[in-house]
Amino acid sequence: MGRYALQRLIGIVPLLFIVSVLVFMFIHLIPGDPARLIAGKEATLEEINQTRVLLGLDQPLWKQYLSYMKDMFQGDLGNSIRSGLPVTEMMKSRFLPTLWLTLLSMAWAVVIGVVIGIVSAVKRNKWPDYAGMLIAISGISIPGFWLGLVLIQIFSVQLGWFPTGGIDSWKSYVLPSLTLGAGIMSMIARFSRSSMLETMREDYIRTARAKGLMEFVVVGRHALRNSLIQVVTIAGLQFGFLLGGSVMVETVFSIPGLGRMLVDSISFRDYTVIQAELLLFAAEFILINLVVDLLYGVLNPKIRYADN
Amino acid sequence: MKFKGKSWSMLSLLIVMAIVASACSSNNNNAAGSENGSSPSSSASAPSESGAAPSKNGNNPVIAVNANFITLDPHNTSDTLSITGARTMYEGLMGFDDNMQVVPVLAESYEISEDGLVYTFKLKQNIKFHDGTDFNSEAVKVNIERILDEKNNLRFRKSFAKVSKIETPDAATVVFTLSEPYNAFLNKLAMGLMISPAALTEFGTDISKHPSGTGPFKFKEWVEGDRLVVEKNPDYWQQGLPKVDSVTFKPVPENGSRIAMLKTGEADFIYPMPTEQVAEVEGDGNIVVDKIDSTIVRYITLNTMKKPYDDLKVRQAINYAIDKDAYLKVVKSGLGAKLDSTMSSKTQFYSQQPAYDYDVEKAKQLLSEAGYPDGFDAEIWGENDSESVKGMQFIKQQLELVGIKLEVKSMEGATLSDQINTPATPADAKIQMWFVSWSPSSNDADGATRGLFSSTMFPPAGSNTAYYKNDNVDKWIEDANKATDPETAKTIFADIQKQIWADAPWAFLGVDQVISGKRNNIEGVTVLPDGSINILKAEVK
Repeated sequence: MGRYALQRLIGIVPLLFIVSVLVFMFIHLIPGDPARLIAGKEATLEEINQTRVLLGLDQPLWKQYLSYMKDMFQGDLGNSIRSGLPVTEMMKSRFLPTLWLTLLSMAWAVVIGVVIGIVSAVKRNKWPDYAGMLIAISGISIPGFWLGLVLIQIFSVQLGWFPTGGIDSWKSYVLPSLTLGAGIMSMIARFSRSSMLETMREDYIRTARAKGLMEFVVVGRHALRNSLIQVVTIAGLQFGFLLGGSVMVETVFSIPGLGRMLVDSISFRDYTVIQAELLLFAAEFILINLVVDLLYGVLNPKIRYADN
Repeated sequence: MKFKGKSWSMLSLLIVMAIVASACSSNNNNAAGSENGSSPSSSASAPSESGAAPSKNGNNPVIAVNANFITLDPHNTSDTLSITGARTMYEGLMGFDDNMQVVPVLAESYEISEDGLVYTFKLKQNIKFHDGTDFNSEAVKVNIERILDEKNNLRFRKSFAKVSKIETPDAATVVFTLSEPYNAFLNKLAMGLMISPAALTEFGTDISKHPSGTGPFKFKEWVEGDRLVVEKNPDYWQQGLPKVDSVTFKPVPENGSRIAMLKTGEADFIYPMPTEQVAEVEGDGNIVVDKIDSTIVRYITLNTMKKPYDDLKVRQAINYAIDKDAYLKVVKSGLGAKLDSTMSSKTQFYSQQPAYDYDVEKAKQLLSEAGYPDGFDAEIWGENDSESVKGMQFIKQQLELVGIKLEVKSMEGATLSDQINTPATPADAKIQMWFVSWSPSSNDADGATRGLFSSTMFPPAGSNTAYYKNDNVDKWIEDANKATDPETAKTIFADIQKQIWADAPWAFLGVDQVISGKRNNIEGVTVLPDGSINILKAEVK
């Protein structure tokens, strides 16, 4: 198990290397000239060219890539082309709000989602099932942008319970994580319901019931644990997406997170920031995938990974 | 057990989940309720319970803005918001008043030589930078030299490129000698803010994070993307100012959230005020909306070197075919003014021109005379933000009435800029019409003219995307710069505007308004016509 994890961790390095090449190529291929965008609309041609030289963008692409890699191996992600601030510093300050938002949204979404899923499966085709699925459908179909503004209108403007945005205290995170978690909660509810229903038809459930086990033990210990595998897959995937930062929620709630930074840096072709962020996302995704794989083992001994 | 490490972390995760779930569940019910109730947000402008209560933020007003601060290095700013930030802490020899007219700030007085080449400034005395060092002529010299140093590649270098010599005969006198007369020099000085030389030595390129000027506010804290906080400079040289203890700027990109902050009192002042919300808050007694004409002009460039736009009659026809009142109503929610020259009425040396009054018949007739009785197919470019798209759709509908069939091509900003600046010669240019705006950064007539209409400024060298070339205008632009007496410059610029207006290289649309919203207990915060915010006289009542 430990060795398996280690092997996977080592495997990340070549993967990230490939990602770095792809990311580098792609962002240099999209049209748009950072030197011009950064020098400003009133800049002279001479200034634009000087900016280009200063940023090293006049060099051939492979040279730019080499110097970029060289700096990266020394732990230097460079400075933002646009603001001149160190990228590492910018990412650090932007990562925390996104991480909090992700954790809080995932936390309530998973708990509530699984509960709704179980209740719906157990009370299939009865009113709790309909109610649960109604919530789930609404959660998926309500656009987050709209939900966010409605929550602000009710809880900030009318009731004054929570601030409209920002990152000043835990209160600031309540409305954004509700908004961000709604869709995920619904997805998890639907997945855990269908997965539970499938598991409940399995032979070992019939056996458990035949043994005379109480219903909550059957559901809780046997059915739930086996159906969680699918839920973990979905939750892991969503976790990865959320860590990339949600542009929509970060914009509505004025949260200085990674998503907004990415959009801002793309519109200015801030190559260094885009590269650093995309690499971070790739690394996060790979790590989460690893964790999900290991969780499979925890949930189902049959898929435990041998160390030999 | 195999999973010891993992199991404790899973356990802690579960605990976190449980805590959050208990914290969220009550709200969750309410959230579900709101979904069912689906109260439309616009109808919910019930008077807020705070009434005429004092500011939530005490004597520390909060200003919500729509963008992030990029840099606080006052010599390297290019976006209006960063300029706003810099101006709270820094001042220049000259500055702008609320109408963007140039007035002395750190300068006591100035004299310009007959030939327009020598500017002599007397400086105000006994002014100190925030770090305690003296402001004097030597400090001015250090700042201008920093800007001019090519190695620094600062965005303000071109503004001072004509400075050939700076002398400091004594601590209170600075003499600039220019290589050639430059009419806009005072405006440029109003942009050139003064940094403490001691701080520059100490922090070098990091000065952006350690601002030290002579301004009314001192730097307190800048969290990139979240807030900029400046606090009162108790030793400020203007007696009795500032009147607030601190000011916090918060980037709030979403319009709806910005206005919500104003309603809850989390923000005392917001800029920009979303135009579509102005009508909604106008009944709210706690909120005051301020509007003034800006220096931002909106227009469509017509490529005068390309058929059929090379024909003056076609360009005039397009101008007559557009209903400017309808443009303001449809695209700008009724907030704005018609553009009646090549620059805004707030810009230096503006001179009003006779309107191209909306007249479809006249437009059709001009098109027939030009040989296009049935119109033609054309293409308009613009950015992909909602206002530009809406604007282009509007133009398409207008031009359809005179037979011009317009294809709207909206592009992401950087891609569009590439399309416009890649062609090296006018002959290669593919651009036909461009739906765009302009605002001269230091509000001088030269900045509103040269880059847009001089034939030396065809892309990629400048922004003359109409590829407009008129030998008189070229010559006048140079003459105006050399005119040392403002009256002469004004006359020349009047001629320039008249000529360009008659040549119609643009379809002239409108002038934006800058619209801000504030709680009624805030006074003295103003938005200048260029969209920068002035907090010098901010006051909480």
